Amino acid sequence: MIRLQNIEKVYRTSTIETLALNSINLEVAKGEFLSIMGPSGCGKSTLLNIIGLLDAPTRGDISIGEQKTGHLGDRELAAFRNKKLGFIFQSYHLINDLQVVDNVELPLLYRSMSAKERKQLATEALEKVGLSNRINHFPTQLSGGQRQRVAIARAIVGRPEIILADEPTGNLDSAMGNEIMEILMDLNRNEGTTIVMVTHDENMAHKTHRLVRLFDGSQVS
Amino acid sequence: MFKHLLKLIWNKKKQNFLLISEILFSFMVIFAVFTFGIYCWDNYKQPMGMEYENVLAVNFTNPVKTTNADSLRLFYETVKRNLKSLPEVDEVSYASVNIPFSESTINNSMDINGKNIRQINEFSGEDSYPGVVNLKMAEGRWYNKQDGLPGTRNMVINRALKEKAFGDVPVVGKFLGDPAKPSERFKIIGVIENIKFNGDYQSPALAIYKRMDTAGYKWVSNMLIKVRPSADAAFESRLYKTLANSLNNANVEIEHLANKRISINKMTLVPMIILSIVAGFLIINVALGLFGVLWYNINKRRGEIGLRRALGATGNGVSSQIVWEAMILATFSMIIGSFFAVQFPLLNVFDLPAMVYIIALLASVLFIYALVLVCSLYPGRQAAAIYPAVALHEE
Ligand SMILES: Nc1ncnc2c1ncn2[C@@H]1O[C@H](COP(=O)(O)OP(=O)(O)OP(=O)(O)O)[C@@H](O)[C@H]1O
Ligand SMILES: [Mg+2]
Repeated sequence: MIRLQNIEKVYRTSTIETLALNSINLEVAKGEFLSIMGPSGCGKSTLLNIIGLLDAPTRGDISIGEQKTGHLGDRELAAFRNKKLGFIFQSYHLINDLQVVDNVELPLLYRSMSAKERKQLATEALEKVGLSNRINHFPTQLSGGQRQRVAIARAIVGRPEIILADEPTGNLDSAMGNEIMEILMDLNRNEGTTIVMVTHDENMAHKTHRLVRLFDGSQVS
Repeated sequence: MFKHLLKLIWNKKKQNFLLISEILFSFMVIFAVFTFGIYCWDNYKQPMGMEYENVLAVNFTNPVKTTNADSLRLFYETVKRNLKSLPEVDEVSYASVNIPFSESTINNSMDINGKNIRQINEFSGEDSYPGVVNLKMAEGRWYNKQDGLPGTRNMVINRALKEKAFGDVPVVGKFLGDPAKPSERFKIIGVIENIKFNGDYQSPALAIYKRMDTAGYKWVSNMLIKVRPSADAAFESRLYKTLANSLNNANVEIEHLANKRISINKMTLVPMIILSIVAGFLIINVALGLFGVLWYNINKRRGEIGLRRALGATGNGVSSQIVWEAMILATFSMIIGSFFAVQFPLLNVFDLPAMVYIIALLASVLFIYALVLVCSLYPGRQAAAIYPAVALHEE
């Protein structure tokens, strides 16, 4: 499903050059639930951004599905992200000025789809994460766990094949974290969604199919 | 997408309030300037209706002590004959004090065709008046000797008054004045084309033209003289001497009508220019403010922008979203602004043609849209340049 070959990422600033990723070779199978661990600053987010086509590697190739992505332009990348990928972030990244249902609809806005259909899909996605009764709330009126569930609903509303989650439980206590983890595992089990998740939590990581450890930009296991 | 943006803006109405009022305020100022400007331009395009080149305006203190009508007439006819004997002089007419481009006005109201019409300018001139300023008849004729016969009550009006009172129909033979008061009743014998006697940028006001007769000579203090193009400064000093002698050493002032036109035009142009400069500075301020607010908003919304990119927005999509949001805000402002603006024609606040307001309104709308577009293009491009990976990493 996802294939990374010799990925290298160098961040250059005027004073310093950081090798954030160093010859990463990684394959994720369809339907796999993979977790990535490693100390802070080892390049986990960088790796996830590269898989998510939000950032280009300095060297190396990425293919997702059968698609090589190196030559894609801005439009094609955007369309690709929109259809194939779902994102979940540690800090939720909800738009506070939009109601829950409108937040969940966001990815569908970048497809051609009627407003009715969008609302329908968003409501369904919210049902799946158990938030049907919070549709018209604003994000600021929700708890952290609820916010993350909104973010998951947003990630799944477009039925992507792959979900990329960067420390989805990082801001939550363990009970809430487990709740989120349950939802992701259900998604993986029932819908066959491929999930790549960055986490700091060994317990969470052990619930996934496979664990990849990074250290200083290199894959160590 | 459009509905989504509306919702986003609506939910942020508190933050957007300042921006909306700023745009609203500049819209109203622009509307005022454009209304004034279009009104002036509209008037400027109208024909002047007369010739002012080579016309001298003479102002004198009335030197005659006698009240005897015959001696008065004799005196002023002699003055006129003396002037016409100068080879450079083509035509002479005594005129009421409100000569073209002067700041004096004589206003009256009149009942015409069943309407009480106010603000009618009342001019007086002699039979030779059209020859001096080359005014043109739209209908009928100007005065001649017959109109001086006792019992004749004839009147010449201008086209503006005719249209106001009667509409666009022939009016020669119709009457002015209240039928119940025969002493104020006149028969229309002619309609002259409008003269912009208040200068190029003012609309030709309503006017009647009276025949100056013996009774008028008692108060006369102005005359207009059409001279040959060859008339020079030397001629003017000869003219001055002739006048001083004929008028028994009265105080005499000679001006060129062309110069009077320039100075009366300034009375409109100067406020216009000042208003435009003030408005210009204001617009620059508003533009900078708009630019700043949009810029600030984008920096505040980096997370959102990164997110939208992750969810499938292209760089151009993000950039056009910023522009669209600004345009929608401008639309809100202008809907409110238009509500105020249409009150001017509806309540007829300044007695300007409704068309002037409509054109000014449309021009203001276009102007504000263009301004907002220009001010949001660059912030929009900046938004497109935000790296989603970086923006999502912040917070
Ligand atoms: N935009 C950037 N410019 C320069 N350096 C960067 C940039 N983003 C990340 N880095 C550097 O790259 C390295 C990897 O960063 P990354 O965010 O991937 O770490 P991480 O494993 O996600 O850490 P954490 O667990 O704290 O989130 C770090 O040394 C970081 O300083
Ligand atoms: Mg990270």
